[in-house]
Amino acid sequence: METLDSLMLGFSVALRPDVLWYGFLGCLVGTLVGVLPGIGPLSGISILLPVTFGLDATKAIVMLAGIYYGSQYGGSTTSILMRIPGEASSVMTCIDGYAMAKKGRAGAALCIAAVGSWIAGTFGVIVLTLVAPPLANFALRFGPPEYTALLVLGLIFLAYMSSTSLPRTLLMAAIGLLLGTIGIDNLTGHFRYSFDIAELGDGIGIVPVAVGLFGLGEILSTPSATVVGEVMAPKLRELLPNREEWRQSAWPIARGSVLGFLIGLTPGSAHIISSFLSYAVERKLSKHPEEFGKGAVAGVAGPESANNAASTGAFVPMLALGLPTGPVTAVLMAALIIHGVQPGPQLVNEHPDVFWGFVASMYVGNVLLLLLNLPLVGLFVNVLRIPYSYLYPLVIMFCVIGVYTVNNSIVDVWIMLIMGVLGYFMRKLGLDPAPLVLGLVISPTFELSLRQSLIMSNGYWTIFFTRPIALVLFLIAAALLSLSALALIRKRVDWRAKLAEAEAGEAAQ
Amino acid sequence: MTLRADHIAGGTAIAAALAVLAVSGDLPFGTLAFPGAGMIPKLVCALMILFGATLLVRGGASQPFSDIGWSDLPHAVRVLAITAASVALYTTLGFIVTMSLMLFGLIAFEGRNLIAATVYSVAVSLFTYGLFTIVLKSPLEQGILGF
Repeated sequence: METLDSLMLGFSVALRPDVLWYGFLGCLVGTLVGVLPGIGPLSGISILLPVTFGLDATKAIVMLAGIYYGSQYGGSTTSILMRIPGEASSVMTCIDGYAMAKKGRAGAALCIAAVGSWIAGTFGVIVLTLVAPPLANFALRFGPPEYTALLVLGLIFLAYMSSTSLPRTLLMAAIGLLLGTIGIDNLTGHFRYSFDIAELGDGIGIVPVAVGLFGLGEILSTPSATVVGEVMAPKLRELLPNREEWRQSAWPIARGSVLGFLIGLTPGSAHIISSFLSYAVERKLSKHPEEFGKGAVAGVAGPESANNAASTGAFVPMLALGLPTGPVTAVLMAALIIHGVQPGPQLVNEHPDVFWGFVASMYVGNVLLLLLNLPLVGLFVNVLRIPYSYLYPLVIMFCVIGVYTVNNSIVDVWIMLIMGVLGYFMRKLGLDPAPLVLGLVISPTFELSLRQSLIMSNGYWTIFFTRPIALVLFLIAAALLSLSALALIRKRVDWRAKLAEAEAGEAAQ
Repeated sequence: MTLRADHIAGGTAIAAALAVLAVSGDLPFGTLAFPGAGMIPKLVCALMILFGATLLVRGGASQPFSDIGWSDLPHAVRVLAITAASVALYTTLGFIVTMSLMLFGLIAFEGRNLIAATVYSVAVSLFTYGLFTIVLKSPLEQGILGF
């Protein structure tokens, strides 16, 4: 009952015309970001971050989150019509979505992707509504040792879930942790690695690192000659799937929603992993697995539902625990902090209008996206006709604006360029930049909670094993680490290795 | 022995960690009861060396370095050089001039029509400047020319 009352409060905020407008704007930009190959939700959010400085925290987070989940909707359009994933999470949709389009069922594929995304997104928000407040209340019992244990578990979980190897993921996370130590030490006031550059005293920002690694790094490794594709124009009258297609998509949407939400709770590229796993599950469960790759409806419905549910699930740890599970939620957290709102267990009580307004806006946003994505699909397809050689300079310009305007600092833009180069070489070496960004984000909290724990215990490490919550979290981390190490020693091909092979295979096509 | 991607990644990580340790001399490690400013960075460097060494030892399964394609390198260098030059000029020349030049440079190098590139670059820069300054009330950098 209390949850329902709070949700009503949220709707009273989310349905205010000004908040609704910014939610719509976020969804529209998100769809465009998703449609355009080479521009991810992270670039979109970073570009529009400075624009939110004049807004209150609710409008800002509603708009920025709209970009995130809107991009998951939009990503399917290019996958189905051009066989080019607009988003990494739409890679699996390329296979059967494009095959359906070639069979003249492009409209049906787009409709199933949009409806599946809507159902999964709404399912995710319902679970978020029910789960986040009790989780936040539970997290109020956390002290520095529990936070230290939780952050260690987060990093280990990330390494376990990663489709690249354990040492690679942990190495990237360690680099992120190291970058996070740059700047003034909060406890002693020492300047660390600032090399007399005043701007580095405040540390390295998340936005320049994330935009550089993901946005610029992607552009540097994508020459315009490689971005070619024929845009297939869908006929609006073919948008409605037939009864058999609806029947075939029902269970994959349901399974994708649950699977996606659960994976969304874990650190890492959950929206990407969830779509790969959903595709694998559907192929496994199908009575006609031979149809996969040739236009199977379940091959579109499952992954598209899963990636949307995962993007909603990622908000649970962010809102309830103040922990980002990926670069996008990290930047969203940074946006909230810039507006004076600290995400975490206190958020529900201290800023109920922000928390519940944001949750309610996602119900509204999912309906808006359904309305946007179906009737306006022709309009979005026309955006794809802009030549890439005109498009990527525009993206670079917006990256520069986005990064510079956060602190009006040219040093941040140089950091973005350096990170762009690093991102380019990391792609070449097959290293995933996501753990690096996560390491950077959690570094200050991790360091502070670890040192506070040691000070509290007068230097005894046993503090982590005498407090029940911390002990349980460490035991889970140890179990995951053992499982990963076992696979590494035995060189066994487990589901993560298969996922990596599938990713590599799809990327090559 | 074939040089592989993980060998390069591991070797670079170890070198970077050693370099950071070399410049961390004045940061106190502290004690367990009162950790100093250098404790976490030094521990993380040790972890980087450990993971880097693991990659070096177990790098046999990764892709051979010679198999990595570098056909996009000229594009990357070109984009980076033009963007870096623009960033260097940004605070001096301001948003409109710098971004017009950057957009023109990037599009011109793609072999596109120069007149179209000029019109596009100037129009997009002016539109974006107007959008941010007037509509979004988020002023962009003005240079020595006053705009």
